Amino acid sequence: MRNFGYDEDKRGGSLSDFRIWGRILRYSIHHWLALAGAVTLSLFITGGTLTLPTLLQQGIDGFITAGNLEDTARLAGLTRTSLWYGLLVLLVFATTFVQTVLLEWIGQSIMHRIRQDLFTHILRLDLQFFSTHPTGRLVTRLTNDIQNMHEMFTSVMVTLFNELVRMLGILILLYLMNVKLALLLTIFVPISALVTTLFARLARACFRAIRSQLVLLNNFLQEAITGMAILQLFSREEKSRREFEDLSRGYLERTLSQIRLFGTFMPITEFMSSLATAMILWYGGGEILQSRLSLGELVAFISYMRLFFQPLRELSQKYSIVQSAMASAERIFQLLDTASRIADPARPLAKPATVRGELHFDRIRFGYNPQTPVIHDLSLTLRPGQAVALVGTTGSGKTTLVNLLLRFYEAQSGTITIDGLDISHLALADLRSMVGVVLQDVLILQDSLLANIVMNSGRSRKDVESILSRTGMNRFVRRLPHGLDTMIGEGGHELSSGEKQLLAFARVLCRDPAVLVLDEATAAIDTESENILEEALDDSFRGRTSLVIAHRLSTIRRADHIIAMQHGRIVQQGSHDELMATGGYYADLVAMDRSNGNGEDTASSRLFGP
Amino acid sequence: MPPRALFVLPLSVHTPPSDASADTSPKRASLPELIDLLRPSFGRYRWQLVGGFVALIIVDFLQLVIPRVLKHGVDGLADSSISHASLLGLAALIVAIAIAVAGLRFVWRYLIIGFSRLLEQNLRNRIFSHLLRMDAPFFEKHTPGDLMAHSSNDLAAVQMACGMGMVAAADALVMSLATIAFMLHIHVQLTLLALLPMPFLAWFTRSLSGRLHHRFNTVQEQFSLLTEFSRSTVVSIRLIKAYTMELFQTDRFDRLGRRYVRSNLGVAYIQGLITPIATLAGNLGMLIILLVGGRLVIAGTLTMGDFVAFISYLAMLVWPMMAIGWVANIVQRGLTSLNRIHHLLGCRATLPDIADNGEPPLDHPSFSLRGLHFAYAPGLSPALVDIDLKIGPGIHGITGRTGSGKSTICRLLARLYPVADGQLFFGGRDVNALPLSYVRNHIAYVGQEPVLFSDTIAANIALGRPEATEQEIIAAAASAAIDEEIRELPDGYASLIGERGVKLSGGQRQRLALARALLCDRPVLVIDDGLSAVDVATEHEVFAGLRQRFAGKTVLIVSNRIKMLSLTDRIIVLDEGRIACTGGHEELLAASSLYRSMYEKQMRPQAEEAL
Repeated sequence: MRNFGYDEDKRGGSLSDFRIWGRILRYSIHHWLALAGAVTLSLFITGGTLTLPTLLQQGIDGFITAGNLEDTARLAGLTRTSLWYGLLVLLVFATTFVQTVLLEWIGQSIMHRIRQDLFTHILRLDLQFFSTHPTGRLVTRLTNDIQNMHEMFTSVMVTLFNELVRMLGILILLYLMNVKLALLLTIFVPISALVTTLFARLARACFRAIRSQLVLLNNFLQEAITGMAILQLFSREEKSRREFEDLSRGYLERTLSQIRLFGTFMPITEFMSSLATAMILWYGGGEILQSRLSLGELVAFISYMRLFFQPLRELSQKYSIVQSAMASAERIFQLLDTASRIADPARPLAKPATVRGELHFDRIRFGYNPQTPVIHDLSLTLRPGQAVALVGTTGSGKTTLVNLLLRFYEAQSGTITIDGLDISHLALADLRSMVGVVLQDVLILQDSLLANIVMNSGRSRKDVESILSRTGMNRFVRRLPHGLDTMIGEGGHELSSGEKQLLAFARVLCRDPAVLVLDEATAAIDTESENILEEALDDSFRGRTSLVIAHRLSTIRRADHIIAMQHGRIVQQGSHDELMATGGYYADLVAMDRSNGNGEDTASSRLFGP
Repeated sequence: MPPRALFVLPLSVHTPPSDASADTSPKRASLPELIDLLRPSFGRYRWQLVGGFVALIIVDFLQLVIPRVLKHGVDGLADSSISHASLLGLAALIVAIAIAVAGLRFVWRYLIIGFSRLLEQNLRNRIFSHLLRMDAPFFEKHTPGDLMAHSSNDLAAVQMACGMGMVAAADALVMSLATIAFMLHIHVQLTLLALLPMPFLAWFTRSLSGRLHHRFNTVQEQFSLLTEFSRSTVVSIRLIKAYTMELFQTDRFDRLGRRYVRSNLGVAYIQGLITPIATLAGNLGMLIILLVGGRLVIAGTLTMGDFVAFISYLAMLVWPMMAIGWVANIVQRGLTSLNRIHHLLGCRATLPDIADNGEPPLDHPSFSLRGLHFAYAPGLSPALVDIDLKIGPGIHGITGRTGSGKSTICRLLARLYPVADGQLFFGGRDVNALPLSYVRNHIAYVGQEPVLFSDTIAANIALGRPEATEQEIIAAAASAAIDEEIRELPDGYASLIGERGVKLSGGQRQRLALARALLCDRPVLVIDDGLSAVDVATEHEVFAGLRQRFAGKTVLIVSNRIKMLSLTDRIIVLDEGRIACTGGHEELLAASSLYRSMYEKQMRPQAEEAL
């Protein structure tokens, strides 16, 4: 169930929203040639399908029952007609195949384009957007919603188009053949339209009820499976079984009511078809008796009429797909219309050729919600090459400072400068190339380790190897089954949390930024990785301005300067020894950390927490 | 005639990727064994099935009658031997038949498809009851994803085979046999000729829809990749922005998207063939009738009415022929799924299954471990080696490094894993001779990872005692130091936990699990590192409460916090599956270097060099 527990209200979109149709159309324009081709094919298929019964009729009326002709002429004519018939059959078959593939290609290409546009757009949005939109919802937009739209594309284009064209074609033909008979048949159009919409509405409600019950059932099952030991230990087996059977019965009842609904509606089209046959036999027969209609015409009319009822059924089945696709399209376009709050300045400053790495936070005030600031008038200067450790409990504002430095968020007041340049005047890409970060979460691409380290930095394999051996990180690579070529990510080699940290470090070193920002992982890592990591840390501090959100005492002690933060303010700063000697907030933090059962296999520190 | 739309395979693009387990299909059970699984449902609902199939067959015959009626009319019109009144009669007959058909269709659908749903429910409940009897080793071998697949996709496949599959099979059989019989009755050679393309159609449909299924799976996998890529990108958005990887990721997404498009086209190639092939086969048959039948009419060996009826019959044959190919696939898939379910239901728990004889519980139970050896699987290095231990009244602490066997002891006491005979005794009796529930009913258990269910907080606490009063629940919560925090929630004890409800912190979840255990009021309390996310002060508060409450009872606490351990009566230090030493806090400080080093690391200011 890959919807991330995120369940959207499947309300139908309004079919009459022309703006949505307009935008879909704009995407389709790129493929106008292919679309025109598909339409032509569609007309051809319809024409072909409708000509077949006419040929049959010609064969019957012109040759089989044509008693006035010579038998040989009748036979020759019949052979000729049959030949045409066979040719047309093969042509219709081939064109149907080509059209199906062509439409799929067009639909998929358009969806691919929308998906790329949406993906590009989402990546451009600001962090505040991401904090207010659950991941599941964004993923649904990119995948299921687009899939929904695609279903409509193929269904609408294939079914609506083909079938509507065919229905119209048949009606026109029938009118040409015999107006009275055709009028008789036309009565069924409004009736079936009515039945169709009613059925679509009822079926949708029915499916929704089934789906929601299935979600309940599956959730219950999932929880029971993962918590089975607890259920057994607390002697819940009997009660769980009863609960499950109740849910199961609920599901059964809903599926049965769906069967009743389908049982009622499915035979209706077929019934109407028989009704029409009866009416035409009676009326048409009367016309023949009065010699106003030929027998061949009646037979042809009856076969056309069969064709006429087929599309009706198809249309009724596609109606709800179109509805849900419109809802999806609406959601997708809405997301595409959401603007980013943080963008490149109109005329960005040039990126300096060399960056010394002087950082200055000047009277920064910021709150994720402007009414409740989490950083209060904070000023801070980092000299080039200095390593500064930020410490403090959860919510003290350490991570927020990093967010502001990288312009993930915009301070409400105050400025941040790098080498005297206001970061809001720099292009985002330039700013972020000056500042390298190691974050707690490590993005793993499903690729080789080398590709994961290089990413988009443009480094060669040689560069990577020399950086790794210089920092001692080649020891970590050597541990892996295929060294740098080890495939990692889903389905590949599973990295330990220590190895993930090392990967993050290797990445940032590849980029050689002037400023290093490090959000140290709180998760415990194995001793060997820790040793390698500390060595790499030494190397990365060298010649760089570094800002570290530190969780390990060993890291803190490696820093030149410690900043202790509390409630968005700097409360103490200095070296470890100075601060321990002075006592106060920092010394308390250290003491608490130690007493907190810092055993061998618990997380390093909780009070310096994330 | 079942709706044609069903022909589009039941596996829509929205169903979750399923066939991960398809590749690792268990050994094929024999057909009778598989049918045995379905026997109870077939037996119980046999009259419903009989009724359904009778209705289905009547529908088929009635449908065949309509062309006969038409033939009458056309023949009559051809030689002008029919009157207005009899035309009207024929029309009325058609309408009457159509009404009967519609009604009977409802009947068979409700009876047969309804039966398949009943059967599905029966199997689903059986699977769940079976899961409830399985033990921890089973759940290690079968991931939740696998088990979920059994209960959704495999059940759906079986239901499909027993519902629409059976209908289509019966329908196709009756329809094609009857239609062919009617056609043969009219003209033998013409029938054989007209039927020539039909076996090819069945064969094509079968092979194509099998391939289609495979390609659908590929699409599924691609779709999952796309989803996973979007998810990991959105989750790591900070990193992507920090590294200005937007373009890089977009390119990778583009490549995945293109592959997805390609695999969809792979499906389209086959879908583009399947439906037109049916039309093609029908039309080719029609061509043969036109060519050959036409000659027969000209030669005077076939009446015009027969000729028209022949055409109608042929049109009726197209669906059954397609259905035969389709049914073969559905049945095959149903059998594969049934085989997996059979395999699942055949799994036996490794723990002895002894019926509970209603023996009254002990007041002061004790466990003794005698030379206990345990490995999680044969071939794995043992998790516990030669453990001699008596766990009786009093508070016991267990500590040791990761993998030293602390949790294993807790799990064995709770009878989650099997032990050899003569190694674990409960109240002086070998546990292998006692019903599982008998031993478990003495133990209140708090695991490492708190397991909470999507229900109210009160219901989660009352898990082991659903009949507990509100006061009792509140008292248990208070003992676990979570009462106040629960009251602060918008709905208090009625707050829902989970996706749609409140999110609790790790420490809150652990205390909730503790409250659940306390409410049970059982003579043994096992806390397997279940307070690790609770802060030290609260932990001590809770512990003080436990001491009073469990005076004279047995408490076993796994912890790595020395302060906590120092409050217990006896500490057991494990090292690589063996008991390193046991004793009180002071005793161990003097006797155990392992314990002492843990103590130093936690209690004394760290030496400068250690940093």
